[in-house]
Amino acid sequence: MSLIKKSAATAVATLETQAESLSDCLTALTSSQPDHRRQAAIRLAQFAEAGPYLLKALAIEDIRAVREAILSTLIKIGDADCVSALSDYLRSDEVSLRNEVFEALKARASLSIPVTQSLLKDDDPDVRIYAVNLLEEMHDPAVEQTLLEVLAHETHVNVCATVVNLLGEIGTVACVPVLTQLKNRFADEPYICFAADLTLGRLHAH
Amino acid sequence: MRTSRPIIDKITISDQDYARFSEYFYRKTGILFENSKRYFVDKRLVERVEATESHSFLSYFSMLRFSQGDSELQTLINLMTVNETYFFREEYQFKCLVNSMLNELITHKKPHEPIRIWSVPSSSGEEAYSIVIYLLEHWPALQQWDVEVISSDIDTDIIHKAEKGIYSQRSVQNLSDTLLKKYFRKVRDGYQIIDDLREAVQFTRVNLMNEQSVRGYKQFDVVFCRNLLIYFDDVSRRMAADTLYDALNPGGFVCLGHSESMSRISPLFKVRQFADAVVYQKGRDVV
Repeated sequence: MSLIKKSAATAVATLETQAESLSDCLTALTSSQPDHRRQAAIRLAQFAEAGPYLLKALAIEDIRAVREAILSTLIKIGDADCVSALSDYLRSDEVSLRNEVFEALKARASLSIPVTQSLLKDDDPDVRIYAVNLLEEMHDPAVEQTLLEVLAHETHVNVCATVVNLLGEIGTVACVPVLTQLKNRFADEPYICFAADLTLGRLHAH
Repeated sequence: MRTSRPIIDKITISDQDYARFSEYFYRKTGILFENSKRYFVDKRLVERVEATESHSFLSYFSMLRFSQGDSELQTLINLMTVNETYFFREEYQFKCLVNSMLNELITHKKPHEPIRIWSVPSSSGEEAYSIVIYLLEHWPALQQWDVEVISSDIDTDIIHKAEKGIYSQRSVQNLSDTLLKKYFRKVRDGYQIIDDLREAVQFTRVNLMNEQSVRGYKQFDVVFCRNLLIYFDDVSRRMAADTLYDALNPGGFVCLGHSESMSRISPLFKVRQFADAVVYQKGRDVV
């Protein structure tokens, strides 16, 4: 026993690499074997039209490794409509699925801008927090203004706290009046006052 | 005609700037700069502030965050990372391999079933040969077990270099004279790995982002994938993590670079804290 010589090594298995049809992959996506479903989800990345099928599979898939593969493929091939449909899962009753979808959406934040605007108006404050956190991933100068608009009407303290934290990183002098008003509005919420003061202090320092 | 900008001499990075930048850079790359790296980071930041003709760190940082595409971030990453590789780099993971990971793996292996190790990217081969040397020097159970070492890269030129196995003095500087004499021979251009070791590593070409390219890479027990994922964007990083997951046997391990974290990429791996290193493990009872 020892190190296997190159000539004897099995090295990389030789697998058939002939083209697979969309139909073959979709059939495998409904297999009773989780591994077959996972591999099918990965191979569906070669079909741009696979998005709706993957979204449907995500709704009923209960194996995490398969869901991860579905999400990876969705964010690779998905267009704006696909990302929009994916964001519906942020309202799922299943916390782990919500978080998995959020992590996937972060990877395609640039496609999520219109979706995020809608999510910011959702009835569920948890969904609004997801939306604010998605804004953090966007390379867009308009993010600060969007955050200020959110703060102007948002009433849920946890959503406001999330916004203030983000402004602490990207905010400019434009956010000073809004943060000052927010402190007055949430005078009884120590964390909001603390986070707002931290951001205001940084802005004054510069 | 452009004039010199005396303001450049006055650009400074405050403690607060440094903290903001470090946090941002960590989120983007997984690389965490502590205060001990302050001089290294400040010097490169000031260089980029000047090169982009920004007037202050704040204006540069704003441009960095909001510019379309990641070209400036990539420039920074290239400046902030060291692409050099050499024998026994991040040696603590090789210690972890022989002291912990392999010993755990063989408790689940059948006799005569080989242990498979994948080193990707191979670069010029230093990592794969370091693994082989470490096994020969520090893992007595090699007498009882077959070990197969495969190393892959997307760059065919670098694979040819790895196969030749000729290294500079700088590349082998961490090796003792004893190891140099035992596993290398002096050649005109430096030191060449002896034939027995060159034959013990199979170098192959792979593109981790191509499903067909990676389809044959399965049933590995340990994957070394160090200082690669930091160069990928979020989508590619997820795809690479999926590839590594599928390449592993149940219970197999992934070793990443010291500044990389699988926990930020994929929830499919467990963190394992061994005495010598933190590594990531695929569950034993999973897909």
